[in-house]
Amino acid sequence: MSVRVTGIGIISAIGLTVAENLRSLKESRSGIGPVQYLEEEEGLLVGEVKMSDQTLKNELGIGSKAISRTSLLGLKAAKEAWGENQHSKKIRTGIISSTSVGGMDRTEDFYKTYLAGTNPDYKLLKTHDSGNTTERIAAELGISGYINTLSTACSSGANAIMLGARLLLSGKLDRVLVGGSDALTKFTINGFRSLMIYDDQWCRPFDETRSGLNLGEGAAFLLLENDSSIDISGNKTIGYVNGWANAADAYHQTASSPDGKGATLAITNALEKSGFALSDISYINAHGTGTKNNDLSESVALRNVFGENIPSFSSTKSFTGHTLAAAGAIEAVFSILAIQHDLIFPNLNYKIPIAETGLEPVASLQTEKPVKAVLSNSFGFGGNNSSLVFSNHD
Amino acid sequence: MYYISAASTISHQPTFQNVGFSTHIEPLQETSVLLTPDYKGFIDAGLLRRMSKILRMSVACAKDCIGQAGIDQPDAIIVGTGLGCLLDTEKFLNNVLTIEGLLPPTSFIQSTHNTMAGQISLSIGNHGYNMTHTQNSISFENALLDAMLLLEEGERNVLIGAADEAIDFLNVISEKLHLQLQHSLTSGASFFILSKQKNDHALACVKDTQAIGLVNDVTGQIKDFLAGNEMKVQDLDLVLLPGTSHHSDGLPASLASLNLEENKCVDYLRFSGIYPTASAFAMHLAADKMKADKSLKNVLICNTLIQSNLGLTLLQSVEA
Repeated sequence: MSVRVTGIGIISAIGLTVAENLRSLKESRSGIGPVQYLEEEEGLLVGEVKMSDQTLKNELGIGSKAISRTSLLGLKAAKEAWGENQHSKKIRTGIISSTSVGGMDRTEDFYKTYLAGTNPDYKLLKTHDSGNTTERIAAELGISGYINTLSTACSSGANAIMLGARLLLSGKLDRVLVGGSDALTKFTINGFRSLMIYDDQWCRPFDETRSGLNLGEGAAFLLLENDSSIDISGNKTIGYVNGWANAADAYHQTASSPDGKGATLAITNALEKSGFALSDISYINAHGTGTKNNDLSESVALRNVFGENIPSFSSTKSFTGHTLAAAGAIEAVFSILAIQHDLIFPNLNYKIPIAETGLEPVASLQTEKPVKAVLSNSFGFGGNNSSLVFSNHD
Repeated sequence: MYYISAASTISHQPTFQNVGFSTHIEPLQETSVLLTPDYKGFIDAGLLRRMSKILRMSVACAKDCIGQAGIDQPDAIIVGTGLGCLLDTEKFLNNVLTIEGLLPPTSFIQSTHNTMAGQISLSIGNHGYNMTHTQNSISFENALLDAMLLLEEGERNVLIGAADEAIDFLNVISEKLHLQLQHSLTSGASFFILSKQKNDHALACVKDTQAIGLVNDVTGQIKDFLAGNEMKVQDLDLVLLPGTSHHSDGLPASLASLNLEENKCVDYLRFSGIYPTASAFAMHLAADKMKADKSLKNVLICNTLIQSNLGLTLLQSVEA
């Protein structure tokens, strides 16, 4: 019961296209650096997309109407994943995006002028709601009908892919763009700082000295098609979504459980759904945010599921920063790239294993081993845990 | 067919734990307030203090539903919300822009859209599928479709609901944007247990639901939806509609060509007030009416709250 992937698109701190992202991954080049575009404290380390709103607007041919950065990033990635595909009455097409901040970037602009009493533009607020960010992307791509947005914090992007796969298998849709988008905002930066899990240094996932995350921004989309859609589109299959699962940790509103219960359930159920054996997994793209709590809990979950034979794993968040709702989608694109090019991406900044678990992520680019199946984890606030399995076969 | 085996609503009406409310509620007065139960019966006092309106409503309705259905745990928790946790979002945004230095984290933690579903799973210790849909006025229908898919995939009981909370600032925005709303902006939460198996608790059945974004042919879509369920407009015993500003002679102008009989139409916004997921209130209202009046066999909730969105939900009576 797998679903075909026929298109991918991405924009992140390490590149504006799939090709640019792949190049940065191969060159171990991180996109995390001092803040340039967002008005924030000088020197703050973030994974910004290296393009201003205005340049994005110009490139995407967006007029003067207010639009959030979340929509702009999403549209850029969605357009790349959509490619040259055409609309057809015979192909029921939908879009599922995901976001945690929605149009918060524009709301912050509004609120600043509102608090200052300097003639705030209330129309900006029409871009606030998360559903609007997806609607704008859909409108630009000419998609109407099934338009939906998921918001399950840091697992949102993975959930969009899962829901898209389920909708295709149920026969409700023939083709669906699935992914996520989140822009950097003062709201989220200060939010993670208030939780004291924002690292002022470059994040170090799965390292004993890790002390928090760096936020990033970006978007990624995958195009999923069923057989009848492919009969018409003629698109080549570039990978498969073979397994998925979503489970609640039900431990704490923000922290992950020490026994990794929700994560263990998500990984186990996704693998079961895929029908793959534990030994079939060539690579795990971990959630690995760089926080004390997540990386320990995830390590415990990997140990719970794989025992002593944990496949090669790494977190790519030291490249992109934690892109929240987009993370699951961005890392899904990385998973497809790993399969397409037989690559295992390095976990930058890893030096010392976590004392409690002793797990060692892959620290340099691996190019020798065939990569047939990849497990991708996305765990979030509210105990929302999701895992996906991708491969090169159905 | 999916059975509604429990329903619970907290709103500006006496809906909570009040079976048969649909027969005697009155249209809202402008001064109406949210009618809340004693939350201590549902939520631990320590947690309750920190919870905003939307969280309290959601957790209480969820627990009430689980009690009504007589189940230990639902297999999944799915929530739809148009605007999410506005109170905490506004509070944290204000803090970010006005306070220097480290901020208290509670309002940030509780600002994310998935806080309701997360808090429900926490409060009942549920490890199942947990999802939050947010597509403005059709968030509830999208959540409902997800629940139906899960039941087709083998789950038995799904807790599915919707919630939105009003903040004062919404009134300022609607005035500045000249929205000319005909009803007050309100808060509400409605939760249901949707079950695959028929059971003694069932109030009504969900036959089908569809959420359509950027809709252009509303009447065509309604006819197609009904035809897909082997039904015509004339077969409907009741149609619940949001009476909004695009009304002409009592019915939305976009629905004029459907030839709906006016005495079969009910404007649910007169009872619920306006919030993005008010169609969830309409589903409880419809189910409550169907439980009381066996002549109501086919009921359509036609959510045209926002012109670009269309939500359709077809309910059928539980066959004897």
